[in-house]
Amino acid sequence: MSMTAPIVQIVDDDRSFLTATSRLLRASGFAVKTFSSAGEFLAQLDTDAPGCVVADLQMPGMNGLDLQSALARSSNPVPILFLTGHGDIPSSVVAMRSGAEDFLEKRAPKEKLLDAVRRAMARDAQEREERNRQQELRARFDILTKREFEVLAHVVQGRLNKQIAGDLGIHERTVKLHRTAITTKLGVQSVAELTRLTDEAGIFTASAPTFPKGQ
Amino acid sequence: MSWVTITWSMIASACLTLAAINFLTWCRNREAWANLFFSLLATGTTAFAFCELGMMRVATPAQFGTVLKWAHVPTWLIVVSLVGFVRLYLKAGRPWLAWTVCGLRTLALALNFLVGQNLNYLEVTRLRSIPFLGESVQIPDGVHNPWMLVGQLSLLALVIFAADAAVTVWRRGDRREALTVGGSVVFFTIASAGQSILVLWGIVQVPLTASLSFMGLVAVMGYELSSEMIRATQLARDLRVSQAGSRENEQRMSLAVDAANLGIWIRDVARNKIWASAKWRQLFGFTSSEPLDFECILRRLHPDDREVFQQVLTEALAGVGSYDTEFRLSMPDGGLRWISSHGQVEFDATGEPVRIRGASRDITEHKRADQETQLLRREVAHVGRVTMMGQLASALAHEINQPLGAILRNAEAAELFMQDASPDMDEIRAIVADIRKDDQRAGAVIDRIRGLLKQQPLNTRELDVSELVGDVRALVRVDAAARQVKLQVDVPSDLPLVRGDRVHLQQVLLNVILNGMDALNGATGGERCLRVSALCNETQSVEIAVSDTGSGIPADKLVHIFDPFFTTKPNGMGMGLAISRTIIEAHGGRFWAENNATGGATFRFTVPIAERVTTK
Repeated sequence: MSMTAPIVQIVDDDRSFLTATSRLLRASGFAVKTFSSAGEFLAQLDTDAPGCVVADLQMPGMNGLDLQSALARSSNPVPILFLTGHGDIPSSVVAMRSGAEDFLEKRAPKEKLLDAVRRAMARDAQEREERNRQQELRARFDILTKREFEVLAHVVQGRLNKQIAGDLGIHERTVKLHRTAITTKLGVQSVAELTRLTDEAGIFTASAPTFPKGQ
Repeated sequence: MSWVTITWSMIASACLTLAAINFLTWCRNREAWANLFFSLLATGTTAFAFCELGMMRVATPAQFGTVLKWAHVPTWLIVVSLVGFVRLYLKAGRPWLAWTVCGLRTLALALNFLVGQNLNYLEVTRLRSIPFLGESVQIPDGVHNPWMLVGQLSLLALVIFAADAAVTVWRRGDRREALTVGGSVVFFTIASAGQSILVLWGIVQVPLTASLSFMGLVAVMGYELSSEMIRATQLARDLRVSQAGSRENEQRMSLAVDAANLGIWIRDVARNKIWASAKWRQLFGFTSSEPLDFECILRRLHPDDREVFQQVLTEALAGVGSYDTEFRLSMPDGGLRWISSHGQVEFDATGEPVRIRGASRDITEHKRADQETQLLRREVAHVGRVTMMGQLASALAHEINQPLGAILRNAEAAELFMQDASPDMDEIRAIVADIRKDDQRAGAVIDRIRGLLKQQPLNTRELDVSELVGDVRALVRVDAAARQVKLQVDVPSDLPLVRGDRVHLQQVLLNVILNGMDALNGATGGERCLRVSALCNETQSVEIAVSDTGSGIPADKLVHIFDPFFTTKPNGMGMGLAISRTIIEAHGGRFWAENNATGGATFRFTVPIAERVTTK
């Protein structure tokens, strides 16, 4: 929901390279922040700042891969792309498997770097929008009562009112009342629309295991 | 019977027994001359005892004279056999004295029969009866024969001869024999001669009892001979024991030899005859009946090892005295066998070698294991070197990529900044300053690496090329054998000295030779030969060439072989020839390669001659 501009955050222990890279990215129109170690970066991690991280793979102390996993666990998992002095296949494989945006040599052509940064930015924006939309949708479901939620779970599976009433041990008319309340609260017209909305919010897919009876 | 009869009979019989025993001893061992003479001595004593007994019992003076005359025959026998016994048993006594004694006694015997009634009396005139040992015996009266002195002189000579012999033996160290034999001969001769002089000149009135003295002599000599016999028996027993012991030693030795897989041989140097154990013949591939000489063994040696072996042997024979060497055998079945040989030379008093004894052992397995280990070690070393270079290269790339990357990014940023309508000149200045700084940083990395790899300064001195080649040859000899490459060295000994760094030049030559062997690895047919030669060329330098009989260098690669990191080998570094050329050029020489007209390649390099060559 933040309106702040996306920022490229660069992490490299080589100060000279850090400065040079930040200059290039600034000259190319990006907002840039620099950190000379992974620790420094994580300490100042903005929980909501959009953008991406460009990190040196080999750094003293916490290296690029450690930074990647710490970032993935954080509340702001921005995309990360790695730079390295020379290609190191095992590390690059680990990095890419862990979802690194890219893996570039330090002396890679400017275009490759900028493209990678732009791609990372775009991916962040997309992921961020996805995350926000889901959060908004989920917020809409928050107003449902516990019983309405239970009924909804059955409805999206395409079950009939009679079946739902039997399963939940309530009267069929009560089920109908709950369904009306759900459609009203969520502002949907049809069961199809209701199912799509539930899907998009990732309500039951994300937390399916908490509904064992759903089977 | 009376005491006289009993005593004299016993003397006679005892002596006769001893005579018979010793005569039989002599019959069985014809070299026991001492026993024969002893037998004669005892026989003479027996006869003399009978004569004495006869003289005591005669009835008329004429009979007495006759018996006395015949008594001189056993006396002669006793004297002569005593002389013989002393000469033979003691191995002493002057020959001329011995001949004098025998001569005088023989003369006395002759006079005994020629002059008067006997040697002692011209005529026995009467007999007198006197009591002797409880019996009445006859003693003579008569006209003395002056020639009697000849006989007594012979006895004196005998005493002198025996005393002289005893002294010689005493001085020789055999004191017991000197005392018993020499002493008793002197003592009993003086006793018997003294008594007979006193009796025959009529100074004392007793019968002749010289046989008692002779009996004493026989007893001492008999004792001496028998103790000699006991000693001989003892010796024989000792000998048997020691023979058994040496047989035991021999068996132990042969057990050890078999266990150690040793082949034993002995070579008679002068007659060029060789005895060798069955194991040795098996090792060297000779049948058990084949006659051996040095040449046929030398022919069994691998042709490349013959010269070295002969040299080692020559040194050992010339006075070193022993050798330890290893060589290969070309077996009749075409196989190769490694032998370790140890030999010891035995010299005679004049320092000439008489024979060589040696032991040989099959070390083929050992050698093979050794070669495998060496090969493995070399491979490990190579891998280690490659890994190290890899790490070095990796570190180098990282170190240099940082500043280079920074320079690149700064330059790219500057370009972008300058596209602005009004570029931020401060920013651009900062960028340029950073670029300069990073360039210096990259330069410093390169300088550091160069410092690491910097060559040690050359330690040049005057070098003998044939020595240099010999050193390297020794280093690669085992390798060449393992890879079945014949290494032929053709370096004249009169080459001028060159100036160079020994270790560096060895490294170059080693490198080129190992390369040559690698080139031969591929070659299957034909002779696998590597030839190292040297000659003095007109440009005041010595040219060393290493030619192989491999497949040569493809024309398109000939120009690249000295480039760093250029290699045709799957696990090569491509640094050997590059470094070698650098070393040779640092020496002021040239290094090049060419293909031979007859196949294979030749690598040549030159090393300048040392300046002082003209004074050499």
